[in-house]
Amino acid sequence: MWSRVRGWGGAAGGSCRLAARLLAGPASGREAAGVARQEGRPRRLCLSSSKIQKLFSTSSVLSTEKVKPTLSEDSTTEVASKSQEGTAETPKQKLLDLIGNMKVEVSYRKKLQQLKTREVKNQATDKLEGMDGEGAVLQRTTEDIKRGKPLNPELVKAVSAVASSLPLNKTQTESELLAQLRRHEETTDKQKKGGVINIRNVISEMAVKRESPAQRGVRISNRISMDFDEDGQRIKSERTSRQSSDSRRSLKVGRRLNIFTKTSTETENALQTVSSPTIWDLEFAKEVAAVTAQPPRNGFEEMIQWTKEGILWEYPIDNETGMEDDAEFHEHIFLEKHLEDFPKQGPIRHFMELVICGLSKNPYLSVKQKIEHIEWFQKYFEEKKEYLQEI
Amino acid sequence: MAAGGLCWVLRAARQVSPAPSLQARSYYVDWRMLRDVKRRKLAYEYADERLRINAIRKNTLLPKELQEVADKEIAALPRDSCPVRIRNRCVLTSRPRGVKRRWRLSRIVFRHFADHGQMSGIQRAMW
Repeated sequence: MWSRVRGWGGAAGGSCRLAARLLAGPASGREAAGVARQEGRPRRLCLSSSKIQKLFSTSSVLSTEKVKPTLSEDSTTEVASKSQEGTAETPKQKLLDLIGNMKVEVSYRKKLQQLKTREVKNQATDKLEGMDGEGAVLQRTTEDIKRGKPLNPELVKAVSAVASSLPLNKTQTESELLAQLRRHEETTDKQKKGGVINIRNVISEMAVKRESPAQRGVRISNRISMDFDEDGQRIKSERTSRQSSDSRRSLKVGRRLNIFTKTSTETENALQTVSSPTIWDLEFAKEVAAVTAQPPRNGFEEMIQWTKEGILWEYPIDNETGMEDDAEFHEHIFLEKHLEDFPKQGPIRHFMELVICGLSKNPYLSVKQKIEHIEWFQKYFEEKKEYLQEI
Repeated sequence: MAAGGLCWVLRAARQVSPAPSLQARSYYVDWRMLRDVKRRKLAYEYADERLRINAIRKNTLLPKELQEVADKEIAALPRDSCPVRIRNRCVLTSRPRGVKRRWRLSRIVFRHFADHGQMSGIQRAMW
């Protein structure tokens, strides 16, 4: 594509290519224009008719975005040069200059600058419109204004030049090209407006947003661990309710960004409905697993297999593997609340207090296991009440 | 809790070397090893109960009648459930004596592997 632009720059075929690209599609055309622009940049310096190029540097037919920075740069020179070189351009030269001065504008910063410098450009275009000698172009611009969005007059000029260079019906091609331009304008305007606003919204409300799956996980884990103590329950539920209420308030406040589609909720529902796998499904899954389980090709895969089976530990070694005790320290130490069913005086109470003292110092047991111990003793002493009553 | 000391239930079956063969032998080296394995399993199951009953037996606070009852109860538990009956045998040869605890191997097997360089971090001592 690059070589084509260079080679065909001077011939009439170049105009055909350009027209073809114009009519082909906006995106591809923009890329082609961008490429051509990049190529044309160094050429611009070596050509002698630099002023003519500057005149037409703004008239990139394919994209308005790429036009704008050049517009902002060359708007001042245009006015001066236009008056000088009014009659000397042939349509082919115009096209030459068009291709030669196309640039690639990729950075978002420049687009924002373009938005800001739109006003400056409008002023410049007003000046140019006044200087324009061709009445036909003026007529067209007025027509465009009537249709709604006014097209860039430089673009319109370029369109007329291109149409005049083409051998086919000139008015038809002109109208087609103008229609394309209008479409480009609409799409780019929509994108720009939508993009800028959405990003602004996102940034303004970034602090508010929190991950809901993380919250859900926290809630579930809290529910699971709530079985242990009554005191623990209260404290944890307070914490979670505070967190959730805060997040809910902040989540519902503010505008909807519509970033996430609703398909996510639909998939969740679908997953919930398929929660009961039949025996046949399980069997099939087992078969598939057995078939796909190839023997390990090397030592690494063997070790991976062993780790999955549980034969090999996971490295780096975590001393607390398998010990998923989410209970707080006070649940381990303050076990007196479990002694409510025991008599408050006597040797049994003494004995149980010793038991509790020992359990509180034991770091290897989980809270559940400790409670199980205490409950076993309770049962045992209830069964042996006859022996105790003799005392 | 005695459970910490009882986590040595190794299925030291004499299996084929890591090459994927179709023969998966699940025999223990000898019957004595098998009995030792059963004892370890039972000891793990009854560890908690034994601990609790012994706590009742071995203190001076509770009345003696209760302690006597507890004595009878613990005697009624299966004999293989007591951890005292476990013997740390060699994992590969089931040798009851001369077993190094860290490697669970008898001295002969240990020496064999060490000389072939298959014991990590072991070398012949020389000083």
